[in-house]
Amino acid sequence: MTSRVTTFTEPAALRWQSVSPAAGAAMLAVLGLLSSDYVTTVLGFAFIYAIFCTGLNFFMGYTGQASFGQSAFAAIGGYGSAILCTDLGWDPVLALFATMALSGVAAVIVGYPTLRLRGHYLAMATFALGLIVYEITIEWTSLTQGYMGYAGIPPLGIVGFELPTVKHQLVALVVLALFGVAVANRLRRSRFGRALAAIAGSEPAALALGIDVARYKLIAFVIAAIYASAAGSLFAHFVGFISPEVFGVTMVVQSFTMLYLGGIGTVWGPMIGAVIVSVLPEALRGLKEMQDIAYSAILILVLIFVPRGLAGLSSLFARFRRNTEPL
Amino acid sequence: MPSTIEILQSLVNGVGVGLIYGLVGIGFCVIYNASGIVNFAQGVFVMLGGMFCQVLMSQLGLPIILAIAITVPLVALAGMAMELAIVRPMLHRGATLFAIILATLAAQIMIERITLLGFGDRPRTFPDFTPGGPLRVGEVAVGYQLFWILGCGALLVVALWLFFNRTRTGRALRACSQNREAAQLLGIPVARMMLVAFALSAGLGAIAGVLVTPTQYTAYNVGTPFGVSGFIAAIIGGFGRAGGALAGGLLLGVLQALAIVALGAGFKNVAALSVLLVVLMLFPNGLFAGFSLGARVHSK
Repeated sequence: MTSRVTTFTEPAALRWQSVSPAAGAAMLAVLGLLSSDYVTTVLGFAFIYAIFCTGLNFFMGYTGQASFGQSAFAAIGGYGSAILCTDLGWDPVLALFATMALSGVAAVIVGYPTLRLRGHYLAMATFALGLIVYEITIEWTSLTQGYMGYAGIPPLGIVGFELPTVKHQLVALVVLALFGVAVANRLRRSRFGRALAAIAGSEPAALALGIDVARYKLIAFVIAAIYASAAGSLFAHFVGFISPEVFGVTMVVQSFTMLYLGGIGTVWGPMIGAVIVSVLPEALRGLKEMQDIAYSAILILVLIFVPRGLAGLSSLFARFRRNTEPL
Repeated sequence: MPSTIEILQSLVNGVGVGLIYGLVGIGFCVIYNASGIVNFAQGVFVMLGGMFCQVLMSQLGLPIILAIAITVPLVALAGMAMELAIVRPMLHRGATLFAIILATLAAQIMIERITLLGFGDRPRTFPDFTPGGPLRVGEVAVGYQLFWILGCGALLVVALWLFFNRTRTGRALRACSQNREAAQLLGIPVARMMLVAFALSAGLGAIAGVLVTPTQYTAYNVGTPFGVSGFIAAIIGGFGRAGGALAGGLLLGVLQALAIVALGAGFKNVAALSVLLVVLMLFPNGLFAGFSLGARVHSK
C-alpha cells in the first residue's frame, strides 16, 4: 500500500506555522467562552472529534493503514465511562484512564489477527468490528440499556471537583485536544514516527530496513484506539447522555470527512477538519435534516478533487509562491 | 433446547436468505473483477430494489411484473451513475484504494438518507409473488416465496454463466478481470466494461431486493446488513467466483438461521460478522478457493 500523503515533511524553519493553528484553537476557545452556551457546545463537539480524528490520523495518515471501525473504541470509552461513573460512582478522570487502558487492551487483542490483512480485507474487517460493537450496544440491554441510551452521566471533573458549566468543559476539551495533537506530533517526529512513515511508503522496504512492520502497525492501531476511547469518554461526560446511534456508521463517515477535509497525514489537519465540519452545519441551519447527505457529499467531493484536503491546498499555494518568487 | 422442527424450519428460512446473500455476493464479485475495487455500497442496491418495487406497486398500483420490470433497470441506472460520478473520476486521478472504498461508503450513506427523506422511515413490504401457501412438509412450513427465490436464483446463475462464457460482452468482462492492460491492448473498451459491471451488479442487487422483500421488509437502512452479508458470502466463496459466492451465501444463511435459534434474533448480525472475521483470519483465500464451483469468473 503506497500513500503519497504521508511522505510529507516540513522543514524546521516553518515552526511558526505549526504554532499558529494552536493559537487559532485558543482563539476559538475564547470566542466560545464569549458566545452563547449553544456555540460553546458546538465547539466542544468539534474538539472532541478533533481528538478522535487525531488518533485516526495516526493509523491512517502516518501509517497508511485503514480502520473503518474506530467507532468501536469510542463506544468502549463512552459506555465504559458511563457505566463506571453512573453505576459504580467512579471519578470521571479515573474512568477515562481505565477505559483508555481497556480500549488499548481490546485493540491489541483485536488488532493482532486483523492487522495481518491488507487492502479491502482490512477495510471490511475493521468495518465489521465497528458494526459488531454497534450491534452489541443495541442488543446487550442489561449493560447498555439498548436504544434507550444511558442518561445521567456526570460532567467531567477530577477528584470530586466537577466542571459545572459547558464553558469550563470547553476549556478542558481544548487543552486536552491540544495536548493530544502535541503528543501525536512528538511521536510523529520520533524514531517510531519515522518508522511508521516508512511503513506507509512501502511495507517491503520498511521490512528490509529492519522495521518490525507488524508490531509497529499494532502499536499505531492501539494509539488510535486510545485516542478514540478518550473521545468517546469525553463525549459521554460532555453531553451526559449516550445511545448506540452516537457510535454508528455516521460517526465513521463524519470523522473521515473531517480527516480528509482537514488533510490526512498532517499534524493540524484533523483538528482543522473537525472544527470546520462541526461548525459548518450550524452556519447552514436550514440543512438540518440534510446534514448527513451534506457530510457524504462533501466527503465524496473532497476525495475526488482535493484528496489531500485543505492542508494540501496550502502546500499548493506554497509551491505556487516558491515558483513565482524568482521572477 | 430448540426442537428438531424449529431447527428444520430455520434451516429452510436460512436457505432462502442465504441465496439472497449469494446474489449480493455475486454483485461484489462482478465489480471487483472488472475494476479491482470493492463497492461498499452494494447493499444499497438491494434496498433500492425492494423500495422502488414497493412504491411502484402501492402508489401507482402497478402489477408486480411491471413493477419489477421498471425497478431493475432503474437500479441498474443508479449503479451506472455511481460508477460515472464517483468511481471513474477517482480512478482517473489515481486515488488510493482506501479513498475509493470510503467514497463508496459515503455514497451508501447519501443514498440511504435521500431515501429516508423521500420515502420516510416506515418499513415496507409487499405480498408473496404467488398468493397462498405456505406449503406444509410435515410440521415445517415452506413459503411459496422460497420457491421463487430458489427458481430465480438458479435461473440467474445459468444466465450469468451463459453471459460470461457465451457473449462477447461477458468474455470481454472476463478479459478485463484477468489483465486490464492486456484487455485494453486487445481493443476492449475497458472503461465501458466497468460501466457494464456496475449496471449488472446493481441489477443483481435489485433482483435480490425484490425477491427478499416479501419474506421480510425493506426500509432505508436494510442495505448495510445485506451488503456486509453479501461481502461475507463472496469472501467465503473465494473472492471473485460467482459459484463460490452463491455457496458462501447459502452457508452463511444457514449459519445465521442456526444462530437465531441458538442466540435469539438480535445477535444474528453479530454472528454473521464474527463468521466474517474468522473466515478472513483463517482462510484469507476463501473456503472454496481450492476447487472451482460453477461459473468461474476470476482467475488469480
